[in-house]
Amino acid sequence: MAEKKRSVYDIVSFVLITIVAILFTFPLYWIITGSFKTKMDIMSVTPVWWPSEWVMDNYDTLMSKRTAPLFEFFGITGPTIPAAIRWVVNTVFMSVTSMILTCITAAMAGYALAKKRFVGRGILFSLIVCAMALPKQVILIPLIREMSALNLYDTLWAAIIPIVGWPFGVFLLKQFCEGVPGEMIEAARIDGAGEVRTFVDVVVPMIKPGIGALAIFTFINSWNDYFMQLIMLTSNSKLTISLGIATMQAENSTDYGLLMAGSALAAVPIIIVFLVFQKYFTKGITLGAVKG
Amino acid sequence: MFLAKQNNGKTHKLMMQETVASYLFLLPFLIFFVGFVVYPMFMCVYTSFFDATMGRADIFIGFQNYAELAGDPVFWKGLKNTLIIVLVSVPVTCIFSLWVANCISKMPVAATSAFRCIFYLPVVTGSVAVTMVWKWMFNNYYGILNYIGTATGVIDKNINWLGDERFALGCIILILLTTSVGQPIVLYVSALDNVDKSLVEASSVDGATDLQTFWKIKWPQMMPTTLYILVITTINSFQCFALIQLLTSGGPKNSTMTIMYYIYYNAFKLYRYGYGNAMGVILALIIALLSAVQFKLGQEKN
Amino acid sequence: MKRKSLAVLLAASMIMSMTACSSKPAETTAAATEAAKETEAAKETEAAKETTAAAAEAAGAPVELSLWTYPIGDWGDQATVNELVAKFNEAHPEITLKVEYLTYQDGDDKVNTAIEGKTAPDIIMEGPERLVANWGAKGVMVDLSDLWTDAVKGDTYASVEAACHDASGAYYEYPLCMTAHCMAINRDVFEETGAWQYVDEATHTWTTENFLKAVQTLYDAGYANVGAVFCGGQGGDQGTRALINNLYGGTFTNADHTEYTANSAENVKALETLVAQDGINFDPAIVGGDEINLFVQGVLQMAFCWNIAQEVNNAETLTFDAFPMAFPSDDGVAELCGGIWGFGVFNNGDEAKIEAAKTFIKWACDENTEDCVKASTYWSTRESLADMYAGDEMKTEYGQFMQYMGDYYQVVPGWATARTEWWNMLQKVGAGDDVAASVEEFVKNANEAAK
Repeated sequence: MAEKKRSVYDIVSFVLITIVAILFTFPLYWIITGSFKTKMDIMSVTPVWWPSEWVMDNYDTLMSKRTAPLFEFFGITGPTIPAAIRWVVNTVFMSVTSMILTCITAAMAGYALAKKRFVGRGILFSLIVCAMALPKQVILIPLIREMSALNLYDTLWAAIIPIVGWPFGVFLLKQFCEGVPGEMIEAARIDGAGEVRTFVDVVVPMIKPGIGALAIFTFINSWNDYFMQLIMLTSNSKLTISLGIATMQAENSTDYGLLMAGSALAAVPIIIVFLVFQKYFTKGITLGAVKG
Repeated sequence: MFLAKQNNGKTHKLMMQETVASYLFLLPFLIFFVGFVVYPMFMCVYTSFFDATMGRADIFIGFQNYAELAGDPVFWKGLKNTLIIVLVSVPVTCIFSLWVANCISKMPVAATSAFRCIFYLPVVTGSVAVTMVWKWMFNNYYGILNYIGTATGVIDKNINWLGDERFALGCIILILLTTSVGQPIVLYVSALDNVDKSLVEASSVDGATDLQTFWKIKWPQMMPTTLYILVITTINSFQCFALIQLLTSGGPKNSTMTIMYYIYYNAFKLYRYGYGNAMGVILALIIALLSAVQFKLGQEKN
Repeated sequence: MKRKSLAVLLAASMIMSMTACSSKPAETTAAATEAAKETEAAKETEAAKETTAAAAEAAGAPVELSLWTYPIGDWGDQATVNELVAKFNEAHPEITLKVEYLTYQDGDDKVNTAIEGKTAPDIIMEGPERLVANWGAKGVMVDLSDLWTDAVKGDTYASVEAACHDASGAYYEYPLCMTAHCMAINRDVFEETGAWQYVDEATHTWTTENFLKAVQTLYDAGYANVGAVFCGGQGGDQGTRALINNLYGGTFTNADHTEYTANSAENVKALETLVAQDGINFDPAIVGGDEINLFVQGVLQMAFCWNIAQEVNNAETLTFDAFPMAFPSDDGVAELCGGIWGFGVFNNGDEAKIEAAKTFIKWACDENTEDCVKASTYWSTRESLADMYAGDEMKTEYGQFMQYMGDYYQVVPGWATARTEWWNMLQKVGAGDDVAASVEEFVKNANEAAK
């Protein structure tokens, strides 16, 4: 009886979830197939579900319309390449750097907040909690003034630094550090390990799933942080991929094919990152209880 | 709490040591946090008392910006819309992702993994691209939604989804939902995975229904995950900006105007930096209050 | 082991970061910082000292300039601009030009942020509504009066010249090219339904009465969506203004460009007529660019946001004859809204750079006018070059509209607010709000910002 009832429920929900899943897959499907469509297919009023003819035109435009040097290093300028490649390199650099910096700073700070008792701890934690949900638009104007005073405006650092300063990662890793048994830290101490050793050899391995989760979260967040990039970056060679594609549009006409080709190009690396890191999600994320 | 013991010289020295060590661990983070979040926030409060614009020195005007805010109907509309977005999208995201996670976690491993990826796709596709596709789907003249709607008879004529003040905000929330359930689903699946299996079995041996098992055994164990999801979803909903900028610019008739967009509009279209900052301060206060409430609730439940 | 790999990662990221960070040479930034409009006298003298020093070595010293362009025809295309820059460098090898390309969607934000970040470009290419009414009014631009010699003034169309300076007579824009924004109709559909009789084919004009009849004819023939008054944002809004102002001869601003007058009886009547007309939708979900797409796709039968660039851009996908038309007016003589584009110089406080910027502008607008105008795909602002496209069929067809060029009113103070209020007003009218009250509110808010 009970068996049968459950299976009916399961089937119904399976069907429902499949329908929703199709809806979720659709944008990416549409963009990827769209990037290979002809202009006529793209402009068609009746949806063209499958390209009537596969063409590379959109990618050709993407790769030929703008150029940029591969790198600029203390006055040395690299070979000239399609700007789209440079934009992807920029985006990867920006996301990877924010990811690494965030993970390192957040793990250290999270450990201190979770396992140490010190003067000012309560105030600092309240500040972190309050600042966590703060939208970046709020502090935008002072931030621009600050970045230009530090000569960081129109460099990728201007997009990276606000992400690293955002306290969400600290909050997350603090929760994970709460789960590290105090005895293990004590034991390491008794064995004569210093602060740094204890942190690196005992704490970090235990909060690895948390760091993995934070890494992917930060990577995707900074990859998609369209607004900060829009405001902080202007030069052709400093743009990220999503900004770059936007600058290739003419007045009052949107080249959807170009937009889709660029979006497809931008989505590929991030999907790879997701697939590589997703094991961290499955390997037992147990979030610790929340304590002030 | 640590100082509950007698505060003799030795513990004091230990305490000092611990504090120094703690701050050394905190230092890298604090440089970024204080330098690029706390300091700008402070400047934001400061500037909100000025009539600040491009190309001339700021003029101190006291609370005038705040007074003007109180009488600005667009600000109130924006505040209302922002709260609607948060109050609708946060619970819906949580419930929807819990339902999906619960269903797909019972499936074979390969299916679970495939579905998990699929629900994450809109997150990785990027807001600009996703928005573009949704704009096409919502199109008044040949959008797929109108096509399906009229074909099935749900609606009798085409609806201008994004151009109608009754539907525009709903559409924005819908798109926001698709881009924000990815992470909660992934987290809930792993949380369900980690639920103590022996307790679940014991409960079904006792004759509890699925629903009872869920509420009594699984749900309490997932509380920390839920709290975490609440926090990130709230953040996400407040930050909903690109959708509005790319789809509606706050219209029609300010029906999708949010505080975030209004701040941006004042600062970057009208160069009213002081006024924009005053709005930012109000928004920050509301968010701080909300976070505090969430935390109090979370702590009590634990 | 693990720590080692972490260290390697970090080191790698550091190296990459330097690559990414070796942005502009330090002196550029220093100069830009100096350029900030400081109120403190001390800083001002310091800057003055520096600028004299800079001017002294300006003669042959290499200068690096940044030029930001909006997508004005092929001035948004890297290959075309590179060619022009190469040609410029043949004459002036000492000036290096670093070109960045803006879009209308986010270009303003970028320039505004750059001004705020004190990294504004040296030269910018856009129209008077931004250079004069916006940044010029904010005091961040250089007065280019010295470029406006009597010869230049004599040769430039009077309406163009009037738009390039502010009320005090300071010229913040040196114009290169112009076009007349018009509308377009789907000729195939017009002929098929019999609406073609309402169009004066030879002059590309029609009266308001005939326009309304044509729309009704199309609507009755089964075309539910004939035209859309797009109001989802400010993209292409000159089209909706031109349509409404022309229908019954209303004006958008007063003649002195100091006040908004859109609440006139003529404009109210025009809006009421459009709201009541079958086949015309007020659509808050689309902007000008979307409207053009819908027209090209054949969904809409006319486009209010059109000029020669649209026909060129969409040549590949147009499956019908897009026939350009002047906006309908009750007396049959349209006043078209023009587009004027040229150069302006941001005041970065560095005399040498300002001089070099002027050198480039003179080169582009005075010495190599034809090439530079052709790159824009539009027409010259000089009367002496009125026939530069002789023999080109499409240019001749569109060139006819130049005679209808009306007052360039987009230079009223508070322009940014007025644009937003404009599409907000259209949204209200489209949703059925009282027309007179909505327009009244628009004028009130816009005029408040104009003060």
